[in-house]
Amino acid sequence: MSRAFAILAIAVLSGILCAQVTPTTEAPLVRIIEGPKIELAKEYLTVISWTTNNPGGSPVHYGVVHYGTDPNRLTETAKSPIRLNPDHPSTVFRVRLDNLKPQTTYYYKVDSMQASGKSDGVKSPVNHFTTP
Amino acid sequence: MRRIRLIALSAACATIAIAMSISAHIVRGQREESAAGSATAYNPYPPGILPTDLSSEITRVQREVDLVEGRALARWKGLSHPVLTGQPPVLQNIGTEVIETLGELMLYDRTISPPKNQACASCHMPYAGFSGPIPSVNLTMVAFPGTVHFRAGKRTPQRHPYAPFFPVLQYNQTQGLFFGGNFWDSRATGYKLRIPDAEQAQGPPVDTQEMGFPDTACIAFRLSQAVYRPLFEEVWGEGSFDIKFPLETERICATPGGAAVFGGNTTPVPLSAGDRTRANIVYDRWAQSIDSFEQSVQVSPFSSKFDAFLAGKYTLTPDELAGFKLFNGKGNCNSCHLDGRGTNLKSDQADTSAVAMVNPLFTCFGSANEGVPLNPGDAFYYQTKPDSYGFIANPYGFGYRDLGLGSFLRSAFGSGPNPNLNWKQYAPTVDGQMQVSSVRDVASTPPQCPTTEAPGPYFQKAFFHNGYFKSLKQVVHFYNTRDKYAYPVTSGHCPKGTTEKVDCWPMPEVRNNIDMTSGNLGLTDEEEKQIVAFLQTLSDGFTRPYLNSDTYTGACMKGGSAATQGNEHLVETPPLPPCASAICSVAPVPSPSIP
Repeated sequence: MSRAFAILAIAVLSGILCAQVTPTTEAPLVRIIEGPKIELAKEYLTVISWTTNNPGGSPVHYGVVHYGTDPNRLTETAKSPIRLNPDHPSTVFRVRLDNLKPQTTYYYKVDSMQASGKSDGVKSPVNHFTTP
Repeated sequence: MRRIRLIALSAACATIAIAMSISAHIVRGQREESAAGSATAYNPYPPGILPTDLSSEITRVQREVDLVEGRALARWKGLSHPVLTGQPPVLQNIGTEVIETLGELMLYDRTISPPKNQACASCHMPYAGFSGPIPSVNLTMVAFPGTVHFRAGKRTPQRHPYAPFFPVLQYNQTQGLFFGGNFWDSRATGYKLRIPDAEQAQGPPVDTQEMGFPDTACIAFRLSQAVYRPLFEEVWGEGSFDIKFPLETERICATPGGAAVFGGNTTPVPLSAGDRTRANIVYDRWAQSIDSFEQSVQVSPFSSKFDAFLAGKYTLTPDELAGFKLFNGKGNCNSCHLDGRGTNLKSDQADTSAVAMVNPLFTCFGSANEGVPLNPGDAFYYQTKPDSYGFIANPYGFGYRDLGLGSFLRSAFGSGPNPNLNWKQYAPTVDGQMQVSSVRDVASTPPQCPTTEAPGPYFQKAFFHNGYFKSLKQVVHFYNTRDKYAYPVTSGHCPKGTTEKVDCWPMPEVRNNIDMTSGNLGLTDEEEKQIVAFLQTLSDGFTRPYLNSDTYTGACMKGGSAATQGNEHLVETPPLPPCASAICSVAPVPSPSIP
């Protein structure tokens, strides 16, 4: 037992375990603290961002935006990866929507998921914005 | 039996024909080499791609490479002979030094190229943190010229300090992410030698646009003639070179890879099966020896100001400390470039976290697509015509897209074969991703040019895989404002009233999988500079001299501003044709499709 502990300690001290991934505990509930909002709305690029408590889990998470021109049919999906900074209390998700039609109103709601595809179960209302 | 004789006779005739053809071609090749830099050199490039001082700079680096090789030879001569001792046998006491010296001798050996004009170090010199040693190349063509003047690669030479610490490439199913490997696209997986850095060392000697041997057996052949062959045999065994190389080997190995005369044959040196196996073993030993040097305290020494800080022997300046806090905090840099420290620092908070690691590598060993614009200065785009050997590096021209890890997983054009079919399915999730390099030594420069940043005196480097960024200020500014100043243009076409890299960022080369951790960080100009100041604390050579970093004999650059450094050499991107099918139509295809 003590030998196993020693091996573990050596591994940690030599960085073998620390360096590759930065594991964090999954939050029991991931909720939106701020947003979602239209961070940028440009001719060819729209960025939607929101802040949640740090969801933990895989170091790469995806922000997910379901969107469409009909509030009842959000048929399109955009997702963008972000890296969790494990000890930050909150996480900013930012998602790119490329090449939207100009002067068009889009409806959207957001979610996030682990790199494995497991949803964080974020509850989001349907919002809307109009492209320039 | 008669049929076998006929086949053997046919094979012999074919070999003689190839040898004669090569012989004739070599005369032309040698003429071309002697005229390197003149009008007869391969030059498919429009004005502004090849720097005007290219030939003299290549000669300058050759001199420096030879100088270091001379030092390594002297070091070897000063070593006593290692003796195998114990069971299992170990080269007791000096085994480490002996194999590292062997690796150093190999790294600076110019004979490991067909016309004996290029070593590994020709693109990786210590004074540049083992990245590209020619400032004008970093400023313009980005990809370094290879053994055939002037073929060039496709990406910047990656710094190799700390590369040996990267693990074997693995898809972590729990995390849903790839970790490890070497090269920008992680194609040196380590699947066979179990050391990605060693497998990386096996690439350039047979890369058509780098050292360019036509056959891996040529490495064994040239090593068998090396002055340090006795050292190789002391480390790896007396019989290592018991290989019957046929007479035509020298002529074959003096001809660069990709030459039409080989007809696509990657093993033109005719060897028996046993000799081929022995040559392959030497090729592996080459790789392991170089890895040992790159992992040594001479190349990866943890001797920076930051290491001294971790040991309590250096106090960061106010700007360095502020930059460190931003690196952990507002900049979020250490979410990928792990620094082994606590995070969540507020502006008025001191870093009192316990040292989680005393040897942080400033990488997560992962990959990311940061949305870097296509760099039309990259010499690769222009190599669409055959050179005098009949070789075409890039038949697709600007139809080439660098999908990084995605192209590797598909074994697509521009990368290497993927040894793991199970990984292929993940290609669309990693398109555009490049390896998260350690940021250690990112700011390393020769002592007489103490910074990478204008107004200097500075040493011009190129950052990221395609060298689009010419200063660290630009790199940090990009992370900070990529989305804020995004424009739907390609490089060289920013709208009037804007300045590229200042308040205009052209569109990403690959839009898929762009990492959105950064892009609109809200850093001030001062905070950007403070992060640069912190990055400069990561250069080795503070606690003790960095071996051979004193060898730069070129000039420093002066003047201008780090924000617009190199902008005078911006090239206008031509209208881009669709992504070549050899890249973007290989299943599983990118999603969404890449224009």
